[in-house]
Amino acid sequence: MELTPIRKRAALQPGKIRLNSPPSAAAEETPCTQKTIIGARDFTFYYGSKAGVENITMDIEVGSVTAIIGPSGCGKSTFLRSINRMNDLIPQTRTEGLLSVGGQDVYDKSTNLVNLRQQVGMVFQRPNPFAKSIYDNITYGPKLQGIRSKAKLNALVEKCLKDAALWDEVKDDLHKSALALSGGQQQRLCIARTLATKPRVVLMDEPCSALDPLATARIEDLIEELKGTYTIVIVTHNMQQAARVSKRTAFFCLGKLIEYGQTDKLFTNPQEKSTEDYITGRFG
Amino acid sequence: MTESLLQRDKNDAAVEFSRPLRLSVTEDLRGFLAEKIGHATLFSITFLSVLAVMAIFYFVIQESVPFIFKGSFGESIGRLTEFLTRTGWYPQSHDNPEYGALSIIVGSLYVTLGALVVAVPVGVLAAVFLSDIAPFSLRQICKPIIEILAAIPSVAYGVFAVMIVAPWMQNTLGFTTGTNALNASLILSIMALPTIISVAEDALSAVGREVREASYGLGATRAETMLKVVIPASHSGIVAAIILGMMRAIGETMVVWMASGNASRIPSPWWDLSQSVRTLTATIAGELGEVPKNTDHFHVLFMIALLLLLFTFGLNMVSEFFMARFKKKSRGL
Amino acid sequence: MQTQLRQALNHLFTLSCGASVVLLVAALLLFLIPMLKKGAVAVLFRGTVEFRKMQAEQFDRGNEEALQKEIEQTAQSRQEIYAILDQFSRGIDTEKLTDEVKGLYRDYGDELRYKDTPKEQYTKLRSQAKIIRNHLLDAFESIDKTEINEYLDAVKVFEKGNSFSGTTVEKMFAVADGFQKTIQHVDLSRRGEYAEELSVVKEELYNLFGPRPEEKTPQLAMRRFGATRWDVAQKHLSFLLWQEKWVRSDDGQSMVSRKVRRDDPQYGSFSGTSLLPLFTLVEETLDISLKPRFTFYWQYFIDDSTPGHYFGGVGPEVLGTLMLTMLAMCFAVGPGVLSAAYLVEYAGDNLIVKIIRICINTLAGVPSIVYGLFGMAFFVTYVTRHPGILSAAMTLALLVLPVIIRASEEAIRAVPQTYREAAMGLGAGKFRSFITVTLPAAGPGILTGIILSLGRAAGETAPILFAGAAALAPIPDFGGKWWLQETRALSYGCYDITVGDKLAMMVPHKQFGMVMTLVMLVLCLNIVAIFVRSRMSKKLRGA
Repeated sequence: MELTPIRKRAALQPGKIRLNSPPSAAAEETPCTQKTIIGARDFTFYYGSKAGVENITMDIEVGSVTAIIGPSGCGKSTFLRSINRMNDLIPQTRTEGLLSVGGQDVYDKSTNLVNLRQQVGMVFQRPNPFAKSIYDNITYGPKLQGIRSKAKLNALVEKCLKDAALWDEVKDDLHKSALALSGGQQQRLCIARTLATKPRVVLMDEPCSALDPLATARIEDLIEELKGTYTIVIVTHNMQQAARVSKRTAFFCLGKLIEYGQTDKLFTNPQEKSTEDYITGRFG
Repeated sequence: MTESLLQRDKNDAAVEFSRPLRLSVTEDLRGFLAEKIGHATLFSITFLSVLAVMAIFYFVIQESVPFIFKGSFGESIGRLTEFLTRTGWYPQSHDNPEYGALSIIVGSLYVTLGALVVAVPVGVLAAVFLSDIAPFSLRQICKPIIEILAAIPSVAYGVFAVMIVAPWMQNTLGFTTGTNALNASLILSIMALPTIISVAEDALSAVGREVREASYGLGATRAETMLKVVIPASHSGIVAAIILGMMRAIGETMVVWMASGNASRIPSPWWDLSQSVRTLTATIAGELGEVPKNTDHFHVLFMIALLLLLFTFGLNMVSEFFMARFKKKSRGL
Repeated sequence: MQTQLRQALNHLFTLSCGASVVLLVAALLLFLIPMLKKGAVAVLFRGTVEFRKMQAEQFDRGNEEALQKEIEQTAQSRQEIYAILDQFSRGIDTEKLTDEVKGLYRDYGDELRYKDTPKEQYTKLRSQAKIIRNHLLDAFESIDKTEINEYLDAVKVFEKGNSFSGTTVEKMFAVADGFQKTIQHVDLSRRGEYAEELSVVKEELYNLFGPRPEEKTPQLAMRRFGATRWDVAQKHLSFLLWQEKWVRSDDGQSMVSRKVRRDDPQYGSFSGTSLLPLFTLVEETLDISLKPRFTFYWQYFIDDSTPGHYFGGVGPEVLGTLMLTMLAMCFAVGPGVLSAAYLVEYAGDNLIVKIIRICINTLAGVPSIVYGLFGMAFFVTYVTRHPGILSAAMTLALLVLPVIIRASEEAIRAVPQTYREAAMGLGAGKFRSFITVTLPAAGPGILTGIILSLGRAAGETAPILFAGAAALAPIPDFGGKWWLQETRALSYGCYDITVGDKLAMMVPHKQFGMVMTLVMLVLCLNIVAIFVRSRMSKKLRGA
């Protein structure tokens, strides 16, 4: 079946992807044995003429927690936001290479963005609840999917808030403004809101950077509970956090993927010099 | 490799994604059409503004052309010269109408500049006060006051000029007539102030704190900091503010119509503000209602409107230029 | 030394900055206080019984019984005043007396003919009556008291003859009697002066009390009622009591103009006449004969005005303004908000968008009178083919379009990008996320812009001058094509009532009342806008 009769499918044009590029130095020594859900091959993202990330090649396995670490401005957020095409909001950007989610090239014109973003949810750096009630925040996504039944929505709200460990704190104020919550609560609400669209993948873009240690601990517990059910990709500044929550870790530096592997291995026995420098705190 | 990767991921994730990540043909078509149609609709609505500007120019020019281009080329030039350089304005005269708009043009400039003489220093100083001197709470009080000053309808200011200022001028200041250039200028300056203040304040606030701190750090007083550093740094923004205030004043109709006295002559001596003058806007407002269509008089009024339009358009362009320059500058280019 | 100078200059600078703001506030107060104070008088005042009478007759309002009772109460004190006036004017207003006597004579002739009097007797009686008449007329014309008395005595001879008892001629005798009594107190040489002054007195009494009960209702509505307001009554009272007179100055050398009371024993025009008690009587009984009462005339904002703006309120103007602005908003809000949405969410940074922006700015800078011309040359000529509400509203819509676009653009731009990201991250498309997230978040800002431009549209006069506003247009007929009818509007009404309307010059409270209504309307809209905005910022802070 030929799709997109009207538009060219730019991303699949031959020649754009260097198919025969040798595995980069970053390629992990222990290849993925698990099922993969996100795969990148020589993926490059340009802001205007400047590359945000360059030649990323990595696989992310289903149901795991993958951490992306690296110094500021290394492109980890750019890569994360490419996965569900949140970078579309920025004008004058383009991509090269391949980024696939569930076998679909996300930068292909044939991607169903709505379905993609619903199933690849995102939690942002700063909690960003809508200026609506808690209830409306959570039902926003399901309502977009056409769920109208009050009973279903109520059940969903309860379930998601429980999943996000927020239910006990807010169950009496569901119709109060979400902006009245504390920062940590807001972030958990945002996670609950993301869960409500029943995603398969949850992308977290430094979800704890704006929170205090206590709230951070709660979010980390939450991630612990969510893994398995959801594939989680988390970008973080905090190496301890990466070590605590993730199964695999990728180290980005200056827009490039330097090293990618099992978290414990990467932290105890880094293969690359710059990785070692970074995790031992010599720069960053 | 690409295909195989996609295939592998697809196989792996088949269970995971319940809703297809790929658009079906109908979804694709529908989305494509919806976006194109939506974009086109929104664009055409937005384009209405452009059409409106073009239509305004078109109709004003269309109605003023019969005044200029009548008879031979020489006659046309003659009429245009008369219009721009002569002071005799007797359009109603049956046998020998005269269409010299010079005194009217001068009258417009006269009240506008008179207004700016008051409004510019007061406006800029008030902007300085609001941006640098006033504490936060005072600023919160002043903002609505300026807004209200801007919101009061011009006709209400006109009534104020006629019913309160004019008798005061006549009785207390001893002017021969209360409706005169001074009256109109004063009221116009009040009307231009909010524009000048708000734009100038934006310009002043856009100059960063660092600049001020640097100046204070070198031991400058507030006056020196403002006058020698901040105001020069934001001068294009302030010029834009003044031009916008000038546009407000020159395009104002009701106040000048009611308060300026409507005598079409150039004041002499030139500094005597207590004389009546007539402005472009007031001439149109006062005469168009009584003029039959398609007469010379009718067309010459559109000619005045064209003049006014070109004037404000020019000023607008100049202010845009200064604004753009200011924006560039404040971005550090 | 130098530091001191610099410090002093600094203080001077700070002071002048502060002074500018003080000047600004002073300008606002100088404008608002007199305008609102003088305008409030149109609504809050002491209304007299004449006001209530007017309300009952023109607007069918008020308690009829109570009013009737009040009128009766006032009638008594008025009657006393009228009695004095009549008694005096009998001697002065000889023209009227002449007419009266002539009329009576004619009536008598008719009476005789009606009674079928024999020819001989008819001739005799008729000639006698004629003599009486002539004597009376002579007496009226004369200014010499003895002469007048002679004439009147000659008349009285006939009265004694008894041949006229029970006829019209008896009325002539009554006139003669009254005349004789009056002239005893009157300096006949000043009769002309008296007549002039008396007409002033009568006019002012009319202004105070309206037509006398026995008079038939005047044609003009404004002549049907006396002073409806206590302040107006006070004004007329002072006109009645005081006159400008040339009097010898205190040193006796020159003549000076001075305000004197009409009943002043030395200078007053009526000193020594029988009219004298009238003035104090009017002054003392004015509150009894007018019964002023504190009135809150809120119906001012909805009442029609008759005639001109003399009585009544600004109802049609308010209605017209509401119609114009609402209709204008109907045209402008949709395109305005959508344009703003396009400019923020869709438009890139290309040449076309730059041109669009320049055009919007140009549109915002076009003088309002040019909008008026355009409205006439385009909307009236090509769209509606008739100046009316629709063409005026379209012109106003064009005027506020750039205002709405700018305000909405600012509001939409102010919505944090994270909102859009969150919505999109949950799978909303561009359109969906705009409708469900961006627009509600920008809503209060857009609403503020709309309210402010509502005020702008309500206040603009120049654009509607030639496109559908008219001074005393009738209230649109909503059964027919109301949108093609011309309408009144507050803004145009303000202009007309202060500069154009001669009748309104007599009622300054109505002039200021109209302006106050407009200013209040705009102020209220602004306050609502400020309120909405503060609510919005509070909401965004999560309070």
